[in-house]
Amino acid sequence: MADAVGSRRWVGRVTYGLIAFGLIFVQLLPLNTMPPGWAPPDLLLVVTMVWVARRPDLVPVLLIAVVFLLTDLLFQRPPGLMTALVLIATEMLRARAAGLRNAPFALEWATVSVMIAGLTLGNRLILAAAMTPQAPLGLTMVQLLMTCLSYPLIAGLAQLIFGIARPAPGEVNTLGQRI
Amino acid sequence: MARDRQNGDDFVGPLRKLLVGLLVVVLFGIFVVWRIDSPRVERFRAAVVDAVVPNMDWAMAPVTGLLNMVADFQSYQRIHEQNRDLRRELQQMRAWREAALQLEQENAKLLDLNNVRLDPNLTFITGVVMADSGSPFRQSVLLNVGGRDGILDGWPTMDGIGLVGRISGVGQTTSRVILLTDTSSRIPVIIQPSGQRAILAGDNTIYPLIDFLDSADVVRPGDRVVTSGDGGMFPADLLVGQVALGSDRRLRVRLAADYERLEFLRVLRSPQIEVITDPGTLIVPALPAISLLPPTDPALPPPDAEAADG
Repeated sequence: MADAVGSRRWVGRVTYGLIAFGLIFVQLLPLNTMPPGWAPPDLLLVVTMVWVARRPDLVPVLLIAVVFLLTDLLFQRPPGLMTALVLIATEMLRARAAGLRNAPFALEWATVSVMIAGLTLGNRLILAAAMTPQAPLGLTMVQLLMTCLSYPLIAGLAQLIFGIARPAPGEVNTLGQRI
Repeated sequence: MARDRQNGDDFVGPLRKLLVGLLVVVLFGIFVVWRIDSPRVERFRAAVVDAVVPNMDWAMAPVTGLLNMVADFQSYQRIHEQNRDLRRELQQMRAWREAALQLEQENAKLLDLNNVRLDPNLTFITGVVMADSGSPFRQSVLLNVGGRDGILDGWPTMDGIGLVGRISGVGQTTSRVILLTDTSSRIPVIIQPSGQRAILAGDNTIYPLIDFLDSADVVRPGDRVVTSGDGGMFPADLLVGQVALGSDRRLRVRLAADYERLEFLRVLRSPQIEVITDPGTLIVPALPAISLLPPTDPALPPPDAEAADG
């Protein structure tokens, strides 16, 4: 029985890995080489936040670290910085995940939004402190807003397609175990 | 039950916290190392990109092709309108072609009279765009030619008409082109009829800014902008684009290269790239070793040897 639960968990982790890979792949497609006037939401970050807030057991710390370090390297970001900030944010969210189960969705959304905002601002502050050239502030703010706004959509999609729902208190899985 | 679970987690908790903390510290360490010794980490980045992206290429090429086909199909809806525009453009082009032919003949005659030999060093390698930067804040593309094909950092890249960017980051089979629109792109240019020198500075818009212009009065929208070759970075006289007046009343450049469809890019073999080998001697010339204190202990090596070591 424990094996069945374990394998289910591994399926969940592999699913997260595949989604992350798919998002990286789509972002790398050379479809539009024009500089954009607006910034699309950082979907990988939102997906990670949804997973951590709802099913933290499916996204281990190491997996998040590997995925984000890879994107740091592929997307020409300063390597390591974003990954470290995402790890801090997800750990804070992970600690609150159990409490968020009983909370209304608006509170979950607000918590995640605050974390994403803190992450973005922290990133900019550290980059400024290290005197690194930065992206325009307006574009970053647009992306921050879009990222926060896309959270309910991604959460809904995750629930519909991958069954990443908030477990109700006392809910059990098909094997009769507590989630 | 819920209490039990939390208690059960508790004795793994501190260890886990410690390991996560360690991981975060290591990641910040990577960032600090990158900030201090950027070239080495960037080389590592190029190696990672080199290992990862070509593996995706089998899927990327068809998906990109398919999506471009969809975009093309959408453009069929406007075909009548486009046709009319093209006809009008063709009419203008005929006039230009006539002028160009006459000029070409004249040019050939003059070259013949002067016995001029054109520079044969400017050859090129053509690469296919594999991927873009993946981030809205960075304007760069990845080409499928790299160190294996003899690409070097700093070489200029053009599409059929105008300058697109410069090589920055070379892997074994891939190389990255920083586009002129990237915020970190600075290119020395010259504005043609007036001969004004300036720096073309990317600012993440499609119209890069003309910076450090001596006198803006003699520059008019529509003037040709070409590379100046200052600093030995690029060959001179590569077409960049035309001067345009931005909506913020600042002089910008309308790029000649077609940034909407960067598909095949030419990497020019630039003959005069300076290779920086030693960061220390570049700024501070080698000083003769002066010993402030006379050596007292004969067992110590003389200060000259130390200076030579360091």
